[in-house]
Amino acid sequence: MTQSPQTPPPFESALLESVGANASVTATAESVHTAKTLADSKGPTENEVLRVENLSVEFPTDDGVVKAVRDVSYSLREREVLSIVGESGSGKSVSSMALMGLLPRSARVSGRVLYRGKDLLTMREKERRSLRGRRISMVFQDPMTALNPVHTIGDQLAEAVLAHSLVPPKQALERAREMLDLVGIPQAAQRLRSYPHEFSGGMRQRVMIAMAIINNPDVIIADEPTTALDVTVQAQILEKLLEVKDAVNAAILLITHDLGVVAGLAHRVLVMYAGTPVEVGETDDVFYRTRMPYTAGLLGSIPSMTGAHGERLRPIQGTPPSLINLPSGCPFAPRCPLADATCRASEPPLALTNGERVSNQDLPQDAGRYREHLSACHHWERLAAVEDPTTFFRNGGQNP
Amino acid sequence: MNDHDRTSPESPDAEHDPGAQEAPSSSEAQGMNIAARTQWQLVRGRFFRHKAALLGMFLLLGVVLLAFTSVGIGPLPGWWDKSPMATGPLHEGGRPTLSLVPEFLGGAGLALGEHPFGQDNVGKDYFALTMRGAQVSLIIAFLVGIVATIVATVIGACAGYFRGWTETVLMRITDVLIAIPLLAIAAAAAKIAGQAGIFYLGIVLGLVTWTQTARLVRSAVLSLREKEFVEAARSVGTSSVRIIFKHILPNTVGVIIVSVTLAIAAAVLLESALSFLNMGVQPPDTSLGRLITDYRSAMGTRPWLFYWPGLFIILIALSVNFIGDGLRDAFDPRQNRVRD
Amino acid sequence: MLVFIARRLVVSLFVLFASTFVMFVLAANVGDPLADLRELPENDREAAMAERIERMNLDLPVIARYFLWLRGALTGDLGVNRQGQDVNILLTDAISATMQLVVAATVLAIVIGIAIGIISALRQYSGFDHVVTFGAFVAFSLPIFWVGVLLKQFGAIEFNNWLARPTIPTLVIVLVSVLVGLAWSSLMVGDRRTRLLAFFGAGGVTAVILLWISATTWFADPGLGPVVIALSALGGAVGISVLVCGPKPSRPMYAALTAAVVGTVLSFVLTPVLADPNLLIILGLAVTTVIVCVGIGYGFGGVLHRRNAIATAVWTGLFTGGVIFVDRMLQSFASYSRSVQGRPISTVGAATPNYQGTFWETSLDSVGHLALPTLALILVSLATYTRYSRASMLEVMNQDYVRTARAKGLPERTVITRHAFRNGLIPITTLVAYDFGTVIGGAVVTETVFGWRAMGHLLLTGLNEADPAPIMAFFVVSGGAIVVFNMVADIAYAYLDPRIRLS
Repeated sequence: MTQSPQTPPPFESALLESVGANASVTATAESVHTAKTLADSKGPTENEVLRVENLSVEFPTDDGVVKAVRDVSYSLREREVLSIVGESGSGKSVSSMALMGLLPRSARVSGRVLYRGKDLLTMREKERRSLRGRRISMVFQDPMTALNPVHTIGDQLAEAVLAHSLVPPKQALERAREMLDLVGIPQAAQRLRSYPHEFSGGMRQRVMIAMAIINNPDVIIADEPTTALDVTVQAQILEKLLEVKDAVNAAILLITHDLGVVAGLAHRVLVMYAGTPVEVGETDDVFYRTRMPYTAGLLGSIPSMTGAHGERLRPIQGTPPSLINLPSGCPFAPRCPLADATCRASEPPLALTNGERVSNQDLPQDAGRYREHLSACHHWERLAAVEDPTTFFRNGGQNP
Repeated sequence: MNDHDRTSPESPDAEHDPGAQEAPSSSEAQGMNIAARTQWQLVRGRFFRHKAALLGMFLLLGVVLLAFTSVGIGPLPGWWDKSPMATGPLHEGGRPTLSLVPEFLGGAGLALGEHPFGQDNVGKDYFALTMRGAQVSLIIAFLVGIVATIVATVIGACAGYFRGWTETVLMRITDVLIAIPLLAIAAAAAKIAGQAGIFYLGIVLGLVTWTQTARLVRSAVLSLREKEFVEAARSVGTSSVRIIFKHILPNTVGVIIVSVTLAIAAAVLLESALSFLNMGVQPPDTSLGRLITDYRSAMGTRPWLFYWPGLFIILIALSVNFIGDGLRDAFDPRQNRVRD
Repeated sequence: MLVFIARRLVVSLFVLFASTFVMFVLAANVGDPLADLRELPENDREAAMAERIERMNLDLPVIARYFLWLRGALTGDLGVNRQGQDVNILLTDAISATMQLVVAATVLAIVIGIAIGIISALRQYSGFDHVVTFGAFVAFSLPIFWVGVLLKQFGAIEFNNWLARPTIPTLVIVLVSVLVGLAWSSLMVGDRRTRLLAFFGAGGVTAVILLWISATTWFADPGLGPVVIALSALGGAVGISVLVCGPKPSRPMYAALTAAVVGTVLSFVLTPVLADPNLLIILGLAVTTVIVCVGIGYGFGGVLHRRNAIATAVWTGLFTGGVIFVDRMLQSFASYSRSVQGRPISTVGAATPNYQGTFWETSLDSVGHLALPTLALILVSLATYTRYSRASMLEVMNQDYVRTARAKGLPERTVITRHAFRNGLIPITTLVAYDFGTVIGGAVVTETVFGWRAMGHLLLTGLNEADPAPIMAFFVVSGGAIVVFNMVADIAYAYLDPRIRLS
């Protein structure tokens, strides 16, 4: 195993494995050959399009206040793909719903969400609505339920256009047809009159993508866009997502629990645990120079094609904490092999582990950009000493 | 300890069918049992959190206790000294002597008085009469609920489990009964059975009001019979009767219990409406609906003769409805999230 | 789809046949049809009994009697009752009376119930929602005959007494105003200031109106007057266009306002026609209104808003017409009230016997007779519709596609009307269609309380006299309605849900 980004990294095979686990080998190989990869797509600019500061979300319930999202901060640059990774219940979806203002009324949201400098959380509802679907759009997890069963695809797409611009319905339908063409739906003109139930899951997700880009947004929030789909379709959808991102010059906030998806798609990764970010950095920093035991555990639980024969997967033991009564200290401490008294006493802040300019040979299109790697672990230095962090859990957290 | 819990509920089965232990779905079935048991605790917790349902339960218990202890049941005497049948001299023109307004507000304080609910025109104690009526209404309502539920469960479960022509026949019978307006069939049935006494009346009404519940049970069974744990039981040769009673019906218990309560609430109203139309309870028996009919012309002169039985009907139906709502929320957390 | 309907129809007919048999057997056994004759003096008895046995075919077994009845029924002859009256004639009268009663009540209950249910769902956990939920439970638990008797006492007897000197006590004014204020403030979303404003605003307006009504003894000679007509027409126009296309001034709103103005002006121009019209004239006016309003909408709409403009204009036109209609009726109230000895709200029957008067007065007579039984029916069935549409709406509002609609940036109004309501309507429509089938059989108790000689009367006399013919006549109509509307429910479902429509 090597840490150089130039050679095919092991997690690409992890991608193969997790995306095409049940598909035949040839089919998977093909999908990789045709797949558009991040390297082919346009890289991010320096301009920040979205900035989230200290975002927190709480839900009052019968049993107590659920702290679903705690103190999340990140920024998204134009054309960048930022992936938010975590288990279910880690707050990754809730935090993105909070940006869009789609949470139930009982949710208590605090912090700031700046879209090109304007705070979405304090702006008037009307202004926020005009951004929703036009500047920031969303692709949801389950295409089977995300489309309205009683309206035609054409109506639902055209509606997104008509909500934001005063054009004749015909013109909106024409735009819808273009978008269906763009996302690769054959006979788009006829399909406009179809109802969602006449489409397969993958096709519906394409429709959702078409809907997301129909107004040329700056930001597409993709909330687990492939989780509900057949494995054979997943790669196609991800590829399409990257393609349309370039077509409309949007940035993508990719929410997923699938590290394989992240590896091939994201410029940067934010790992969430128990509602709060625990590691943030460039994708290969997070994958190769992991500075948080939880991320290491996630990486270690991905099946690997290059792993030694007979090697067993090492799932992380235990379960995530309840978000109602969070233990004091690091929320991951009960499951962490590195945990000690310090960890149980105080929750580690998200701190810089390195900060450097990107050198010309690492990512040529990014050369000169400042590159941060943050971790919320008291003992990230101990991980830094480990050769391959994915093996970390396999030997019980002992330094090799 | 966990392991012990896991095996004990299903252990007889496991002994009879050694294969069951190995069948991959068997663990599912055991999982269901664990879920079912912790589910009972969940259900109870949710029910007791439902304030309206708790209130309904206490109200209903109160009414039942009051109705059955005050004038006694059958030969057993109650603590109330007046009989529903005895006439007597009019006390204060027959007006209710019950007082709830405390003395410092200018009332007579909390007192029952001689005739708390007043008297009718021949001096019968109206409290005793109302209690007797409530007794009869409650007995009939519960009989209707029980009979309807038994019939509905058997028919619904058989139709849902056996499918094929059994289902067709049973569901067509249900359709035929549903096509007859409830009041018409209930009135005709009650007219035939009403003379024979309140127990027959309750049973007969139960025999005509099971249709909706049967449909609910059937659709619940239809979805359950496709579940893995039923397949597993079938694959190891468990008999149909055993599968229905041991595996399927326990999982439809939520649907059934909720239906029972709602059926009871509806039965209170149905019985009183029939008695009001002179088709239900016949003299010398009386019921709350019967009392309203008997004294409806007194609305202008002795309104209390009209109010008390009506209030008790509402009280019973409302508290049973609240209990039913609480149970529904308790058994169906999805509904719970939507509602409260 | 056609196959589906055809198969459904065959099954329904079979079900109806089977249920007539069940009902006939029950009806033939409810008692002794000769009971009243057995008490006759000896010499008359034999002949009378023989005659009745002959007429009712009592010498034949029940099954044979059923097929005799069935043969008649299939040719449209429902037989004669115990006294030898033609049941077909009895049934025709009974149906028209029952229809008068249940159609208005059911339509009102459906409209009001669905509206309350939806508002209550959209304002889940608000004070309004809690009150509605509790109120629905109470309504579910009300014995309708008890409510009916109460209504007769307070809605008719006491109300008519009050009309003699129609002033409203101060305490009542205060209470009503506070309640109205509370209702409005509980419906408002926003901070305490908005709520307080709503409370005092709505409460204040109510108090002023009530004071004015009391001071002018408005009820003695009611009427709306040109100002109120114009204001409510314009208000209706604004309300309808806000519902259809939002609060911004827009072409549809101008179309609606124009329709309101035209309607108000015409109400004065048409005074001679409206003095004593007949039903045909009223219907003609309604049709004219629709045509004119379509024209107004078409002219105002432009290319982009034509459909919305036509819709708002037509609804506003009809609403304005309704206001004018009510005004005319109210203007005739004083003379009507005098002609019925000051007791306009009636407790018995469907119409004052031998009543003669203008169109407006006879309409008032019907309204006076319909008011209380309709109210009783509404009160009980309202709860079902409220609960059901609330649950359905809550269910739909939690669906993913509603979230998608919001994510598109649609205004909340569009999200609710086009996405949530359209889907929530599917189960509601099914329930309504099914329920409509049961109302004919369900009004028996109400009819009895209010002394209507309608379908319930047929059933009850039939049961009391052990006479199957009227019972079966009742059943053919009420059971037939259930079967037909069950089918309508299925078809409506298939029509509304493309997933079923196309498969």
